[in-house]
Amino acid sequence: MLKELIEFMARALVDHPERVKVSEIAGEQTSVIELRVAKEDLGKVIGKQGRTARAMRTILSAASTKLRKRAVLEIIE
Amino acid sequence: MSTLEIEEKSVEDAISLACEKLKLPPEKLEIEVLSKGSSGIFGIVGAKKARIRVSAKELPAEAARERAKEILSEILKHVDLPTVVESESKNGHIYLNIISNGSGLLIGKRGKTLQALQYLVSKIVQKETGENVSIIVDTENYRSKREDSLTELAQQLCEKVKKSRRPLTTGPMNAQDRRIIHLALKEDQDVRTKSKGEGNLRRVVIYPVKKGKKSHKTVPGEENTRE
Repeated sequence: MLKELIEFMARALVDHPERVKVSEIAGEQTSVIELRVAKEDLGKVIGKQGRTARAMRTILSAASTKLRKRAVLEIIE
Repeated sequence: MSTLEIEEKSVEDAISLACEKLKLPPEKLEIEVLSKGSSGIFGIVGAKKARIRVSAKELPAEAARERAKEILSEILKHVDLPTVVESESKNGHIYLNIISNGSGLLIGKRGKTLQALQYLVSKIVQKETGENVSIIVDTENYRSKREDSLTELAQQLCEKVKKSRRPLTTGPMNAQDRRIIHLALKEDQDVRTKSKGEGNLRRVVIYPVKKGKKSHKTVPGEENTRE
């Protein structure tokens, strides 16, 4: 669920949607969502001053609140 | 959307006929040339008619609005909250209104989540259409309520400033909130407003304006004598 959310947002933002890879490491309370994108798209998912990344994290935490969980988004280089 | 196929002597003739039929100027038509046609030898033997396929082009603003609505709905679908998105174009802005169960989940602290959704949707629409579109995301009338309470706050601070004749500062605010404060006090000649600070810590300072003086230099004890 959270994984698909990040996947959708990231795919819509980048130039190479086919190279967007998202994996979820689920813990008891906290899941870690790892986002990998093509090198040239890294800036697109981070944004100016990290604004896009922050927006995605905000939406992610709203979504995980609904599921009574915590989720952390890691953008992997 | 209606699609027409038209056969004429030349492509130009076919396009003008299409414009006539759909009552639209050529720039609003999606035109696909199926066959260019040829006049044949001496215009008699082997003459082939030009064929085109036309459809009315969707207005860019409409397309952007539809797309914005789709993107927002798609994001919200993954949030696992029953929602309906309404869209409306007004004064060059696209307004997206989320109808939900009213839990405030989509608003977040001080509208943080709403702001994030708005930022992401505009970013994606901008990337896809290549145009600068202004998208405003709202839910449960949050924005207008926020505007009312900020205007009230501005008025209260303004009264304090007038009484104490000392500048006052609001809490940290985002650009939209600051704009509401500035606009609320724009007409008031006794105070002036200015934004100060960097990034997330930017806030609005409300200064008193010395009566009867145009310059901002303060001469102590002169405030009351020049009224």
